[in-house]
Amino acid sequence: MIWSVYTENRLGLQFDPRTKIIMLILCVISATIAPSLLYESVLIFAVTVFGCASGKVRRSLFCAAFYGAFYMLTKFVISLEKGTLYTVFTSWLGLFYTVYPCAFLASIILSTTKVSEFLTATSKAHIPNKVVIPLAVMLRYIPTVCEDWGYIKDAMRLRDVTPSLFGFLKNPAMAVECLYVPLLMTASNTADELSAAALTRGIENPTPRTCLIEVRFRGRDWIATVLAVCVLVLGFIWERIV
Amino acid sequence: MIEFKHVSFAYDSHGEQEDIHRTDDLHDINLKVNDGECVLLCGKSGCGKTTMTRLVNGLVPHFYPGKLTGEVLLYGRNISEIPMYETASLVGSVFQNPRTQFFNVDTDSEIAFGVENRAFPREQIEEKVAAAAKDLKIENLLKRNIFSLSGGEKQKIAFASVYAMNPCVYLLDEPSSNLDMETVASLRTHLKMLKSQGKTVLIVEHRLYYLMGIADRIIVFDEGQIKKVYSAQEFLSLTDEERRIMGLRTTDLRKEVPEVIMDEEREIGLELKNVSLYYGKKTVVENISTKISRGEVIALVGKNGTGKTTFSRALCGLHRETKGDFFLDGRVIPKKKRQKISYMVMQDVNYELFAESVEAECSFGIKNPDSGLVAETMNVLELTPFAKQHPGTLSGGQKQRVAVAVGQVCKKELIVFDEPTSGLDYESMARVAKIVHNLSEQGKIIFVVTHDYEFFCRTCNRMLVFSDGEISYDLKCRADNKEQIMRLLFFAMCENKGGDLFE
Repeated sequence: MIWSVYTENRLGLQFDPRTKIIMLILCVISATIAPSLLYESVLIFAVTVFGCASGKVRRSLFCAAFYGAFYMLTKFVISLEKGTLYTVFTSWLGLFYTVYPCAFLASIILSTTKVSEFLTATSKAHIPNKVVIPLAVMLRYIPTVCEDWGYIKDAMRLRDVTPSLFGFLKNPAMAVECLYVPLLMTASNTADELSAAALTRGIENPTPRTCLIEVRFRGRDWIATVLAVCVLVLGFIWERIV
Repeated sequence: MIEFKHVSFAYDSHGEQEDIHRTDDLHDINLKVNDGECVLLCGKSGCGKTTMTRLVNGLVPHFYPGKLTGEVLLYGRNISEIPMYETASLVGSVFQNPRTQFFNVDTDSEIAFGVENRAFPREQIEEKVAAAAKDLKIENLLKRNIFSLSGGEKQKIAFASVYAMNPCVYLLDEPSSNLDMETVASLRTHLKMLKSQGKTVLIVEHRLYYLMGIADRIIVFDEGQIKKVYSAQEFLSLTDEERRIMGLRTTDLRKEVPEVIMDEEREIGLELKNVSLYYGKKTVVENISTKISRGEVIALVGKNGTGKTTFSRALCGLHRETKGDFFLDGRVIPKKKRQKISYMVMQDVNYELFAESVEAECSFGIKNPDSGLVAETMNVLELTPFAKQHPGTLSGGQKQRVAVAVGQVCKKELIVFDEPTSGLDYESMARVAKIVHNLSEQGKIIFVVTHDYEFFCRTCNRMLVFSDGEISYDLKCRADNKEQIMRLLFFAMCENKGGDLFE
């Protein structure tokens, strides 16, 4: 798993990382063209089904429930038809509805894909190493930052800087400085060391790499891709049928 | 066989922020390492020994650019002309920092990583992973999340990943600097196994004691040149004085004895009454009651995961889930207050340096800084020449001194050092010891989390041993209990798993 929250995933179906990348692209397009709120709900439903199938049932249902609540709120605000709440709310509504399905799907993908799987799949898809390796290092760097944040918070407390929202509001410049200075100082080292470790274990080998976990395009990948395409097509013809 | 022929190397400097002091360049190196030989490279920090390993695994000049003359031959082939992925199948490298050398999040994939890159079929990968885990006795670590492992366990996984690739040459760059004594002992067992398999091992190290009896040749570096080559026999017959001048640590821990003894009774500074620490629902340490005088230097020892870190964070008021009371000079000090009076010098000091210059760092976050005090502290800690420099441009030891200076300026009473000597050569270790000593003379209360027995002997006059959810021993160093302390410490740190190491 690319995220640090790793749980053994026995229940879920395992999809090829290439399927996941295709689905993410399709999802971005679908969310951008989404013609109506109802279509958006169909999209969320599809993502939830995919999440449950991948074994992330709890996370999927939670995200779907959050969407449901937000949907209700939107309906209520729209029924107001005017007023400050209406104006403020509708102005960033579009943004939320475009980003949410993509973020939802991305979080499922990130939490179910192993780095080695990702590397193998991309090498099978003939994506050049020059693109893939920096991306893999970057993904691996994210959980490291989360760990670093813990140490930085401790250091801030001992220097009488409160690492909380309140502290941030009280003295934003100081809070930002406290966060990014140590992160930057450690970042270049960390990235160098990570790359060195990967290079000395032959990550650059041009022969397509193999993987401990079988990576192959299976029936389920075809089904998932076809379904995702259907959702997208539905978006295009939505206005004609509804 | 590895051959260095008139090799010189100078790193390209990457502008100003790159460490100027730590050049690590090499000048005219000639060396032949035979198959099946174990060679130990040592010397002061920045003497070029790390560059030697980088020349063998191809990181120099492929990853770290610079000016290379002469040639390094691996089985007759010039390494700088072989692509790195090919070198990778012949030379396996283990690095210093366990946090940054894994690439996957689960242990199995990590052990398989190198073999996967070599594109072996899947069935063979499975076999190799299982075999590596069995040979290194780490089956209990399989199918785990690497982020939940301790530093020592991470290092074992990194080693296993290299072992699964079955290279002919192993390079280890300060592999023990973040490990407790127990893991160091198992590292020793692993190295013995490699030797019996006829592998060539090149190892760069500051801690020397665990390599005695394994290293066939010891090469001492100084300022980028080979100063002296010793056989194992010759090396052991060096006097302590000769060894220290070369900046080398002890070769035999049993010769070291606690030196700091505090005889007179002093007033009690800090008192803990029935303190218990929890982590979520789990009890970490229960019912700690102890009295600590000013000027005492207390070592917190014990294996990883016994609560040393949680305890030191609780002392500083950073750990929430605590019960019981802390008193300073008879008055209760709640969590917030403890944050004010205590300071922690972290293992990675980079996390606690925030400002744009050393001078600004010392008064960072203080409303009305006392500029006299700042200047004086910097003077005492030999930081005045760097006052205007960015802390990021300093060396590790200098950064550590900046952190100590911060603690002084903020008038902290209680100072915790977390593994202050990991990866330090003799000289730097002695300097940290001196700083701790000075703080103790000022009447500060000092806690040191450490696995470094040599450092313990020089600085600490009391120890708290953590094991199984309690503090099992609380001993002050006296003239008559040196033997007991040594035995207890070794036991707490490693349970004698090194076999022949501490007998």
